[in-house]
Amino acid sequence: MVSENLVKNVVTEPYKYGFVTEIETEKISKGINEDTIRLISEKKEEPEFLLNFRLNAFKKWQKMKEPCWADLGYKEIDYQDIIYYSAPKQKEKISSLDEVDPKLLETFDKLGIPLTEQKKLTNVAVDAVFDSVSIATTFRKELAEHGVIFCSISEAVKDHSDLIKKYLGSVVPSNDNYFAALNSAVFSDGSFVYIPKGVKCPMDLSSYFRINSGDSGQFERTLIIAEESSSVSYLEGCTAPMFDTNTLHAAVVELIALDDASIKYSTVQNWYAGNEEGVGGIFNFVTKRGKCLGKRSKISWSQVETGSAITWKYPSCILLGEESVGEFYSVALTNNLQQADTGTKMIHIGPKTKSTIVSKGISAGNSVNSYRGLVKMGSKAIGSRNYSQCDSMLIGDQAAANTFPYIQSQQPNSEIEHEASTCRISEDQLFYLQSRGIEFEEAVSMMVSGFCRDVFNQLPMEFAAEADKLLALKLEGSVG
Amino acid sequence: MQSKTKEFNPILEVNNLFASTENLPILKGVSISVKPGEIHAIMGRNGCGKSTLSKIIAGHPSYTITKGEIKFTGQDIQSLEPEERAQSGIFLGFQYPIEIPGVSNLEFLRVATNARRKFLKKEELDTFDFEDLVKEKLDLVKMDSAFLSRSINQGFSGGEKKRNEILQMALLEPKIAILDETDSGLDIDALRVVASGIKKISNEKTGIILITHYQRLLDEIKPDYVHVMSDGQIIKTGESDLALELEKHGYEWTDNFSKKQ
Amino acid sequence: MQIIEEIKKNELVKNPSEIQKICLEKLKLNPLPNIKSELWRHSNKSKFLSFLDYSHTKKESKVNFPYDNASQNVIRFTIGENSSINLKEENYSIRKLKDSEIFDYIKKNISDFDQTDHWSDLLNHCLSSKNNILGLNISGNKIPPIEILSASSYNSFNAKTLILFFEKNCEANLLQINLGDKNSSLCQSTYLCLEENTSVNHGVVSYGKNKSNLLNSLNVIQKAKSEYSLSSLHFKFNYARFEIRINQLDGDAETNIKGIQITKNEDQIATYTKMQFNGPNGILEQINKSLADDKSHSVFEGAIVVPKIAQKTDASQLSRNLLLSKHAKIDTKPQLEIIADDVKCKHGATISQLNKEELFYMRSRGLTLEEASKLQLSSYFQEIISCIPVSKDRWDLLDKLLKEA
Repeated sequence: MVSENLVKNVVTEPYKYGFVTEIETEKISKGINEDTIRLISEKKEEPEFLLNFRLNAFKKWQKMKEPCWADLGYKEIDYQDIIYYSAPKQKEKISSLDEVDPKLLETFDKLGIPLTEQKKLTNVAVDAVFDSVSIATTFRKELAEHGVIFCSISEAVKDHSDLIKKYLGSVVPSNDNYFAALNSAVFSDGSFVYIPKGVKCPMDLSSYFRINSGDSGQFERTLIIAEESSSVSYLEGCTAPMFDTNTLHAAVVELIALDDASIKYSTVQNWYAGNEEGVGGIFNFVTKRGKCLGKRSKISWSQVETGSAITWKYPSCILLGEESVGEFYSVALTNNLQQADTGTKMIHIGPKTKSTIVSKGISAGNSVNSYRGLVKMGSKAIGSRNYSQCDSMLIGDQAAANTFPYIQSQQPNSEIEHEASTCRISEDQLFYLQSRGIEFEEAVSMMVSGFCRDVFNQLPMEFAAEADKLLALKLEGSVG
Repeated sequence: MQSKTKEFNPILEVNNLFASTENLPILKGVSISVKPGEIHAIMGRNGCGKSTLSKIIAGHPSYTITKGEIKFTGQDIQSLEPEERAQSGIFLGFQYPIEIPGVSNLEFLRVATNARRKFLKKEELDTFDFEDLVKEKLDLVKMDSAFLSRSINQGFSGGEKKRNEILQMALLEPKIAILDETDSGLDIDALRVVASGIKKISNEKTGIILITHYQRLLDEIKPDYVHVMSDGQIIKTGESDLALELEKHGYEWTDNFSKKQ
Repeated sequence: MQIIEEIKKNELVKNPSEIQKICLEKLKLNPLPNIKSELWRHSNKSKFLSFLDYSHTKKESKVNFPYDNASQNVIRFTIGENSSINLKEENYSIRKLKDSEIFDYIKKNISDFDQTDHWSDLLNHCLSSKNNILGLNISGNKIPPIEILSASSYNSFNAKTLILFFEKNCEANLLQINLGDKNSSLCQSTYLCLEENTSVNHGVVSYGKNKSNLLNSLNVIQKAKSEYSLSSLHFKFNYARFEIRINQLDGDAETNIKGIQITKNEDQIATYTKMQFNGPNGILEQINKSLADDKSHSVFEGAIVVPKIAQKTDASQLSRNLLLSKHAKIDTKPQLEIIADDVKCKHGATISQLNKEELFYMRSRGLTLEEASKLQLSSYFQEIISCIPVSKDRWDLLDKLLKEA
């Protein structure tokens, strides 16, 4: 079994991505107002429509109130104490990877994401984002041969402004929620993917987000468009150094799938979670949403959430096209004082739409792990079906697990089924494994990874391995 | 055709039937004709369309007929609801009789029997008369009267469910009975009970279609005709010895038959 | 919002009791519940307002039990009809609570009631006059079935309160009937205290007439080794809310909740349950079934709260919903809040229509679609209705009512 070997490989270091890269950066001053937004837009040499998009969002944001969830407790965020743009200083224009600051390349090397031609991963194209800017995107030429566009969103704004104009904000409107509005106003960089009609993307695409500076927020924006009969698998990874202050991460991800297109979006989120006393860590307030516009289109979210001090995230699917399919597979692990409130929304609008939700929450230490999900059958969703399964595992007697499924139907000819359960690792199971000579912690790891099997099976190979490793690492010391 | 006597008119005629479910074609031109007193067997691999054929004849709403016709006693039944078909004498013995928790078996049997009796212009039975009738029929399938007070098929063993199907057949006295894998999941004793029940219920006016994989039911009830089905079509028709050959050679043997036969 | 105006103007009650004064004070500042809160957001606003739109000041008309008790030995009470009660038999006794006992009990309870969680009870205590509070102390076993009637009168708003103490080792069967008259609102608050080792089988049957509204709040406290079974049926209301709060004070008790709600026309019926385990080894088995037809709206929200102290809790909750019309709507939210790690909790929810395979099976035996649907519906309800402690000879009435429903 893969997982057993992986667990064996686990090193005992607590958060191995916690280092800081010493690099000269260009930061704008703290705080947010109209001028900040103009400045960001100017630095990125943006066309006017985008500046207007930002200013419009900013106006809406100012009128909005920060959401207050009963189950998330955190210190108030001072939005004027955040730096909204931070970029490593580089030459004006970089024409090849050789011109990228070696320190940056080294950073990504250390994170296991080598970017240089000699070392780059062979089957995954990577867009590496460092604080507010995209550093490099690999395999661009190879992808271009298939007509696939994979670049930073800043470049897309310049080179593919028609697509940006058409789709940016079409899934997550700028006034969708407080954090989406903030992101729409100040987003710095992120990835853009366009898969043309009939193309099966020849390799997995991946973005790697790295927060480096302690006082700047990260507001990336991702937009993926899959034209008719195309398909793509996209991976997202994130890490941040250890700081004793909290850093805000408010991303927006928009996916659009047209007729017969399929998008698979996988995340392994390992932002710094704060220390055992709950000091520091990332506030991860993210809006991810996919629109199945076309007939028989499919959007599948899989996520492994292990990091962040607070996670607030509901990757969702709007199932518009007839017979479109939405999927959500999630593992959320919380330890120490972490809080996670995550789940999904499946909005069935079109007829014969199907959705599947599998959520596995593991809470250890003093953490709180909540599943919050909405399944809605609109009045035209004839013959639609949803199946949800939410399981929680509690480790230790201080951890909390909550399940809040909101279920709504207006269509008699549709079916919704929801199941949830809570369990612990049974002593009998542990004993059985131990009596076969397996160490206690390893037995726990095995059971946890068994518990998550349904979800791991949905992840791309490399990610599944990484996820398994991560879980084992995170659980270290939480049992016994 | 017109000149023949009534008895020789088929009870059931399926003519070049095409049908699909969720746009997936399942039947691709099936024809079969059953006359009174005849016993037909349909054999074939799993997924060849046998069960679909039986459900379509009974009027299952999940299937759409795209071409062809089904005639019952000379009438096209496509527009009839499942209950109208049942009331007029079509009986389907289900391969997997569904469990209906909470609905009393006795009450269900009574309502069903009276619906059929009403169609036949017979007097409807009250609870007491019906209990007498049902007890008499219970003996045919060697069922205990305790089954009557339970919910429909709930917690019944495989054998008990099949006996319950035959009990229903006995009560409804159909003109044609299509028995979908009534033999599956039965041990040899239970099989004999079920087979003898079927024989006692049927007579020279009844038509029977047995859908099965195996010879062993056909050892108990000898068919007049055997049809082999594959991929939504009947690829060979013969007499009862065809079943024996099938048993000997297996279904691979039939793969060589021309589908146009 | 006649009632709210009356509260604001303080002209509800001529000589308010101390309890009424406290509650009036609490509500005067902020007379309506927070309609954005989880507990209220599904409430149809205009229906809720129509619930409030009757006057409290009218004289109530006398209401009879919907059936007579000729054939069986039952003990009956009608809330609001002041009969003196003092039954002392060989095996059991039932006595009326003293005014001071009632006062102390309610006062203790309302001290930690807040606007969101207990708005219904606060409203009830504002309006429920001394005469409309029935308090009983029940002990012993082999008690004949107890039946308690609460009803609203035509064109008015009535508030009724019921407080029942079940003494140690008591075994009782209780049937509570809430009747809504035409164009009326009934605000019913019920408190049950189950001492150690008691066993109470509680049936609640609530039904209305044209444009009846009901706000039904049930608060149950269970001590260790007690068994509480609730079977409820709510139907025929323009607007009805059933709030159930059950607290297993020391755990180690059994709770069984079964409920049915049927909505037709433009009815809205909502059930909210909160099950709190405050000790280890508690057991909960809950099923809520709803049926929504026409343009109606059916809501269920259930919370199970298992704090750290409640180890070895075993709780299951199931919400089953039948949506029969494309203009009807169902909202359901079963929810788990768990901190203890050694627990078994599960919940489930389904929304569907009648099972097609089952219907086909019955139709293939000659039953009409209507007959098959009826059989299926009655089996859907049977599981719950058969638990309501109603004697056999009165069953017909319930059966008849359901057929109409």
